[in-house]
Amino acid sequence: MDKSIATNIKLGAFVLAGTALLITAIYFIGQKQSMFGNSSMVYAVFRDINGLKPGNNVRYSGINVGSVKDITMVADTVVVIRFGLRKDILPHIKSDAHAIIINDGLVGNMIVNILPGKSTGRPLQGGDTIRSFARIRTDEMLSTLSVTNENAALLTAELLKITRDISGGKGVISSMISDSTIARDLKETIHHLRHTAEASNKALVNINRLVVSLDKNNNLLGMVRDTMLPKTIKQTLSNIENSSGEISVVIRQLNDLIANADTTVTNIRKGRGAINYLSNDRNFVDKVDRTVTDLDSAVLQINNAAIRLNQSLEALRYHWLLKGSFKKMEKEKAGKKE
Amino acid sequence: MKLLNTLIRSVLNYLEELGQLSRFAGKFFREVVRRPFEGRELLRQCYNMGNKSLLLVGVTGFIIGLVFTLQSRPKMLELGAAAWLPSMVSISIVREIGPIITALICAGRIGSGIGAELGSMRVTEQIDAMEVSGTNPFKYLVVTRILATTLMIPILVVMSDAIALFGSFLVESIKGDVSFRLYFDEVFASLDFIDIIPATLKTFFFGFAIGLVGSFRGYYCKHGTAGVGVAANTAVVETSMLLFVLDFLAVMVTDIFY
Repeated sequence: MDKSIATNIKLGAFVLAGTALLITAIYFIGQKQSMFGNSSMVYAVFRDINGLKPGNNVRYSGINVGSVKDITMVADTVVVIRFGLRKDILPHIKSDAHAIIINDGLVGNMIVNILPGKSTGRPLQGGDTIRSFARIRTDEMLSTLSVTNENAALLTAELLKITRDISGGKGVISSMISDSTIARDLKETIHHLRHTAEASNKALVNINRLVVSLDKNNNLLGMVRDTMLPKTIKQTLSNIENSSGEISVVIRQLNDLIANADTTVTNIRKGRGAINYLSNDRNFVDKVDRTVTDLDSAVLQINNAAIRLNQSLEALRYHWLLKGSFKKMEKEKAGKKE
Repeated sequence: MKLLNTLIRSVLNYLEELGQLSRFAGKFFREVVRRPFEGRELLRQCYNMGNKSLLLVGVTGFIIGLVFTLQSRPKMLELGAAAWLPSMVSISIVREIGPIITALICAGRIGSGIGAELGSMRVTEQIDAMEVSGTNPFKYLVVTRILATTLMIPILVVMSDAIALFGSFLVESIKGDVSFRLYFDEVFASLDFIDIIPATLKTFFFGFAIGLVGSFRGYYCKHGTAGVGVAANTAVVETSMLLFVLDFLAVMVTDIFY
């Protein structure tokens, strides 16, 4: 390669590197000031901008989201600030947000700080004007401090007066401090209070024990507190109610029965029906008695006849003529059983 | 009376030289827009002044960044402002230290080189020979050198600034455990166009001054070979003084506009 060409290439690389560095620096500085990014312009109106300058940062939730572009005075006490906000941040800032001008740190630059609202408003859009807070100025703070100091001085003077009175023996507090009788009374009162507290403590322990015993089911209150008891009582009442209904039916039937018995007794007394005949006719009773006696003797005779018949039949079983038939009958019986 | 006469003569000589320098500068502005353009010679001079100075400027810038941070760090720590170190170092280097130190180094290396080279050409009558042969020595020798310094010094300053900031970052990284991104985020957050644009613009004037004074001293070199050394020496001294004056003027102008 020709020497001059190589030299030119090296020179070109050198110039390119230097220019690239410069452009990079300009780009990064510009980016910090939101010059190259997509930003939307938003406005805020202040009475006093406290030395804010174009290029100062705009901060939201601690993030640098843009920079101040223009500052315009539109009236004697109205200053309009136009600042660019990053478009990706814009949807997160609601229209009820507030702008305030503050120092970045103790000795830093002025910045516009956007404070979030109640998040009820619509997202901020380009061209919107957000509300602003007037910054509390140092002289205002000093003025407030001055008033506070005056009040503190008055309070101290009053306190000093009270302390002097107490030291001089004036008033109740002074008496309490200096009089030994009050101190002794106070000591006794505390002693009594301690005793009372101990007695109260014991009483509370007893009450607690009582309450714990009441909580069990083996006493009346415990039963009352038992949740199953109302159900059982209800069931019992229901059963009693049913039983009373059935008792009522039974009583009604008994009444009917008694009425019928009464009628029967009346009929018997009047000589109507078989019972009257059975109870009042003596001949009939004698006839019945005799009949029964006859029946008794007849039954006895029948029994005797039956015994004799059994003996005869037993004898027939062993007779050669009928013996086979009886055996056959026994076999058939045994087969049926199996 | 004799002292007064000497003083008056010195003032008159100074004014005469200033006038000659102004005429020399005027001639440069006339010749720079006239054909023929010595492009090849310009590129050669740019290479000699830019590329060949990069190592010196780079090393100097790196050491400045290191030393400046090392020296500032303890005090900043005492104040509880170690986090401001990148901001402080970057503004100092970009606004002032980088341009002026680089320009002074270039005045030493390039200014003296131009003075000595042109002076030796003058005393060996090479310039006269060029005039006789029909070549415009001013255009070929002076215009190309002044243009080269004017164009190369800003680039050298930008590179020196970058290298110095890198040196500063190294110290912060080792001593303060600061990440590269955090350091340069802080640097660019603290820098503004008001820092970088006037600082870069004034380096063009620095480059022009280095080339102009060096060429002037060499072009009008007298008294043989001894005069070559004087020309080189004078070029460095006068350029250095002129650089500070220009720096002061640049700061004044910047202060007026911003």
